[in-house]
Amino acid sequence: MTMKLDARGEICPYPMMKAVEAMRALPDGEVLEVYTDHSPCLETIPTQAERLGFDTAIEETGSPEWRITLTRKESTQ
Amino acid sequence: MTRAGRIITKAPAARLAWQPILALLAFAGSMMVAVWAGQIGSDLSVFWLMGMAFGFVLQRSRFCFASGFRDLFLLRDGRVMKGIIAGMVVATGGFTLVMSDILPNARLDLVAYQAHVSPLALGLVVGGLVFGLGMVLAGGCVSGSIYRMAEGYLGSWVTFVGIMTGLVVVGHTWNWWWRMDIGLAPRLWLPNLAGYGSAMAATLVALVGAYIFILWWESRGGLVIPYRPATEPPADTFGEKLRQSYRAIFVHGWPATTGGLVLGALNVYMYSYEHPWRITGEISVWGNALAARLGLAQPPLLGIETLTGCTMGGSQCGLLNHMALSNLGLFTGALVAALLAQECKLRVPRKKVRYFQSLGGGLLMGYGAGLAVGCTVGAFFSAIPSLAANGWIFAIALAGGAFLGTKALRWLP
Repeated sequence: MTMKLDARGEICPYPMMKAVEAMRALPDGEVLEVYTDHSPCLETIPTQAERLGFDTAIEETGSPEWRITLTRKESTQ
Repeated sequence: MTRAGRIITKAPAARLAWQPILALLAFAGSMMVAVWAGQIGSDLSVFWLMGMAFGFVLQRSRFCFASGFRDLFLLRDGRVMKGIIAGMVVATGGFTLVMSDILPNARLDLVAYQAHVSPLALGLVVGGLVFGLGMVLAGGCVSGSIYRMAEGYLGSWVTFVGIMTGLVVVGHTWNWWWRMDIGLAPRLWLPNLAGYGSAMAATLVALVGAYIFILWWESRGGLVIPYRPATEPPADTFGEKLRQSYRAIFVHGWPATTGGLVLGALNVYMYSYEHPWRITGEISVWGNALAARLGLAQPPLLGIETLTGCTMGGSQCGLLNHMALSNLGLFTGALVAALLAQECKLRVPRKKVRYFQSLGGGLLMGYGAGLAVGCTVGAFFSAIPSLAANGWIFAIALAGGAFLGTKALRWLP
């Protein structure tokens, strides 16, 4: 299952804060996809993901738009 | 288990890259402006090009003084603040050389021309608190808002209107502040006390101390994450290596420390021309010119001619002066950088409350910058390397304001 978080139009620190909220609430075995058009999030979200035990993959889906896929690390489960 | 890390993949669908083409056109236009300005006065084109370089570097490193302060409290993350400190270390060395050239004997009761030394007044503390709160609410300080305007953030245009308005409002209350507080306060330029060498050494020690304090502060947050820059698959051919180098400079964001170091070096170069990097003085001139048309011109500001740095109410309004060209250049340089990286897009806030945050944050920043004689650039990033005590007081007040801002963020949806 994939949960989607559309944070387009929002600027710092909101996309990061909302992504953290969503990661905390994410049920086991689900993947979180964050959509953003705010480039500083490409630094802040992976850092917070690491702290919460998530792996990050970033895909450029537009100019400028990114999909950040956050997957819970297996070892922490 | 595969570690995804921070590998950035390109979207599979090929798109027409119209933004880089516009970037080249904008760059060509900006060079024509440089030639034109150079015919009127050679240093005018220097300030235009310097402004462009500042804007380019700010956009490329996504350099954000607001996040530097805010993330210390919100995330216990000092990544950006460490970049700011690195830049000030470079600028402290460079400024000392420039200032000792301007005024060889600092033991006299004089201050090197155009060093950012301002009164250690209550207004400086209030200005820092108000500015710090405003920049967190608005999501960017003055320089940050200008380069985001170029990237197409509608909220940043609203912030800019707020900053200009705040600078007009503070002008109308300036004489009260001057009589009650700012005009009575002492100024402290460290070289007057102990000469250049000791003042520079003390400033560098304090900057290193601040860096170490931030490391400790981060470690109190539990897990500290090493910074992992964007990576691409290993390159094998020459063409691929070239393409990746291009993307590292013009497409991916630079590390904050790289941005800070380059901004610090540019600031030294700017001071060696005329004066350090500053922004808000000129914005107040623009705001006051607009206010005058509405019959709301500022009264003559008491004591303003005794101050240096981002002073308000300068008499020469127009596009042909150093700081106007530097500010317009900042916008243009950021525009070229954002277009090259294909990061220009009209971004419209989806929540109404964000417009109030942008406007309110801008008003607070304008008012604070007026009282403190500068923003995060003039009263902080250029003041600490000026070996002026006011830079440190403003920095602490900014941190306090940013702390209040992170508390306020939790009350907003």
